[in-house]
Amino acid sequence: MTEARERAAARPHDRDERWRSDFPYDWEADASVSRRDLLRLAVITSGALFAGTLLLSLLGRRDDRRRGSPRAIPGAAALPAGEALYFKYPGEDDQAVLLNIEGTGFVAYSQKCTHLSCSVYYRAEKGELICPCHDGKFDPRTGEPTAGPPQRRLPRITLEQRGGELFAIEEAP
Amino acid sequence: MSAGPSPDGRYVRVPAASRRDRPVPGREALLLGALAFGLMMLAIQLWLLTVALELYLAGDGERVWGLAVGSGCVFVGGLIAVWLLSRRPRIGA
Repeated sequence: MTEARERAAARPHDRDERWRSDFPYDWEADASVSRRDLLRLAVITSGALFAGTLLLSLLGRRDDRRRGSPRAIPGAAALPAGEALYFKYPGEDDQAVLLNIEGTGFVAYSQKCTHLSCSVYYRAEKGELICPCHDGKFDPRTGEPTAGPPQRRLPRITLEQRGGELFAIEEAP
Repeated sequence: MSAGPSPDGRYVRVPAASRRDRPVPGREALLLGALAFGLMMLAIQLWLLTVALELYLAGDGERVWGLAVGSGCVFVGGLIAVWLLSRRPRIGA
């Protein structure tokens, strides 16, 4: 009986020893983590966030995001109302879509979805621009998002009629 | 208490914060309050950054400067708070 008591009394000590071997640090080390240090870290993070916002501000002032040079859109003149024509603009690797909307006329947008850059295409029977990746939808008249995850309008391509031909002038976000 | 292994060599002994490092009575609540307020301001700054990115990507980059000014004010406020709280008041003054 006495031996059993001794073993029981020894057990908490054993547990304590095991704990020490698993976590070999002094309790008092906890006291060295100060709120002042955390506050300083918060201020450094605040500085980093400010730097990011400032950088975007400077880029926004400097960066002219309009791009492209005037180029004829082949086959645009023969495009019937309510139909779409896909072409490459402003670069050879950039897809764009030209729409002939009844009552509005020609409008053109970049085909790159403003959500995750999937290709947007025109669904004539419903009269909407859709992105098949995440079911994003855009208003073909304005390019504004109407459904799904996209939050920004499609980049618009300025058009101009020159001597019976339709020209893409530039793309602007 | 000095840093280094304990006498039995089994665990690391880290010096505890000395009495001098601890905030004077009444300062602790002030520090906690500043910390809580600072974290809230950080959340606002993060939101400002996301709005700025959204505007920039949408081609309205010229409107971002106002957000940068707001974020800068929060940062300067944080610097002032750290400076004020790092001053050690004289006890009994």
